[in-house]
Amino acid sequence: MIKFQQVSKTYPGGQQALRKVDFHIEPGEMAFLTGHSGAGKSTLLKLISLMERPTVGKVLINGHDLNQISRRQIAYIRRDIGMIFQSHQLLMDKSVFDNVALPLIIEGYSHKETSKRVHAALEMVGLRDKVKNLPIMLSGGEQQRVGIARAVVNKPPLLLADEPTGNLDPKLSMEIIRLFEDFNQAGVSVFIATHDLGLIARMKYRTLTLKNGQMITDGLSQDF
Amino acid sequence: MSLLFKGRSRGAQLSQISILQRIQMFFLSHLRQALGSLGEMWRAGAASLMTIGVLGLSITLPSTLYILVKNAEQINAGWDQASEISLFLKAETSKQHIDQLLTRINSWPEVSKVTYIPADDALNEFKTLSGFGDAIAYLDKNPLPPVVLVAPTEKHAGPAAARLLLDKLRSEREVDIGKLDLEWLQRLDAILTVAKELVTMIALLLFLAVVLIIGNTIRLNILSKKDEILVMKLVGATDAFIQRPFMYTGFWYGLLGGLLAWFTVICLLWWMSSSVEAVSALYQKQFTLTGVDFSTLLIMLSTSVVLGLVGSMISVKRHVSAIEPK
Repeated sequence: MIKFQQVSKTYPGGQQALRKVDFHIEPGEMAFLTGHSGAGKSTLLKLISLMERPTVGKVLINGHDLNQISRRQIAYIRRDIGMIFQSHQLLMDKSVFDNVALPLIIEGYSHKETSKRVHAALEMVGLRDKVKNLPIMLSGGEQQRVGIARAVVNKPPLLLADEPTGNLDPKLSMEIIRLFEDFNQAGVSVFIATHDLGLIARMKYRTLTLKNGQMITDGLSQDF
Repeated sequence: MSLLFKGRSRGAQLSQISILQRIQMFFLSHLRQALGSLGEMWRAGAASLMTIGVLGLSITLPSTLYILVKNAEQINAGWDQASEISLFLKAETSKQHIDQLLTRINSWPEVSKVTYIPADDALNEFKTLSGFGDAIAYLDKNPLPPVVLVAPTEKHAGPAAARLLLDKLRSEREVDIGKLDLEWLQRLDAILTVAKELVTMIALLLFLAVVLIIGNTIRLNILSKKDEILVMKLVGATDAFIQRPFMYTGFWYGLLGGLLAWFTVICLLWWMSSSVEAVSALYQKQFTLTGVDFSTLLIMLSTSVVLGLVGSMISVKRHVSAIEPK
């Protein structure tokens, strides 16, 4: 599903964020990406979501080389990737419904279909009764779940999460991870970047570890 | 179709949706964005009103000048049509010769109408119009010659053709002096040309100002919505989709500015009409100011809408693509 081939990224100014990173995440797999802040986690995710381009090497999604994707096509690529952010990236002046509906409106779904899907997505994250609320009225965990609902509302085959539990306590974090597990069970590939090692330690998932831009371990979290 | 995943259906392209429904949805989504933009302008309230006001007044000035020039042209055209040649005949010409002359001239293809004013009639007219009645009574003999007024046909009423006709008439034996007062007409023509160029220049400058004002307003709009644009780009919105509401904002600014200009022009013309009437009364000329007719209104509105779209397009092309998630 996601394949990195000898990927290096050097930012203008000479800072090397990634060095010859190589890995492959299978379709339907759920994996974690970990490492200290500054290790290159965010850069790696940005290469997948086309916010950055690799300096050297290839990033492939479902066998398609992202280097071949033109600037105009980026928007369409992002529709296939559900993205979840630590800072939620919700529109604070729009209702929960409008926030979750955004990807569907962009894709031109009918009003009826949009409404149906938004309610289904909010049902999955347990926020069905908050449809009309503004995000500002919700707790941190609830806001994160709105972000997740927005990421899955158009049923993308791939979910990317950047520190989804960053601001949450362990119990809420676990709930969020359980949500990801549910989606994974439904066949969605899930790739989560987190520095919350305690969270990963409690689960048996493949974990990729970055250090100074290099991939130092790749294996089950129990192995280390 | 998805670029990365074959067979993954997209909302608008689900197989059960017909082309007709898709077209319907396309217009529905445009309508939604257009009304959304209008709603946003409404919520911005005073700021939007001020922008519309500036646009309206910027368009009012060239529109008013344009209408005034058009009116002046109409005056010009009216006199042009009536251009008459006055022939002063030699005083000693006999009645018989005059009749022959009249028949001859009447038969010319360039001439549409010939009016003969005998010397006595001319004197009477002069008496009543000039106010010299008493003084004229002291004259022992009529000093005025008989006059023939020749109206050329429409085709020969233009300055050059009329001059040719004048030369032809002058060569007639009975004619003493022929007069065609064209010079002032030519001067008015020249002044109007200058005025028209001036209006064009002022219009171009103000139109440029309108484009810049709308461009800047949209730029501020875009910057104030930077966060929203970022989020939209993250969830897969194309630049075109993000740009559309701003384009509609430009469209609405143009349309509302144009309507305001129309209203202002009507008020200005109404205000001026009494003084214009006073002037035309002095010239004993029946003249009413032509206002904004439908075609002028259409030109005004489409111009301002186009200006609004151009302004927003410039801004949107530069700034929307510059906002990229990092």
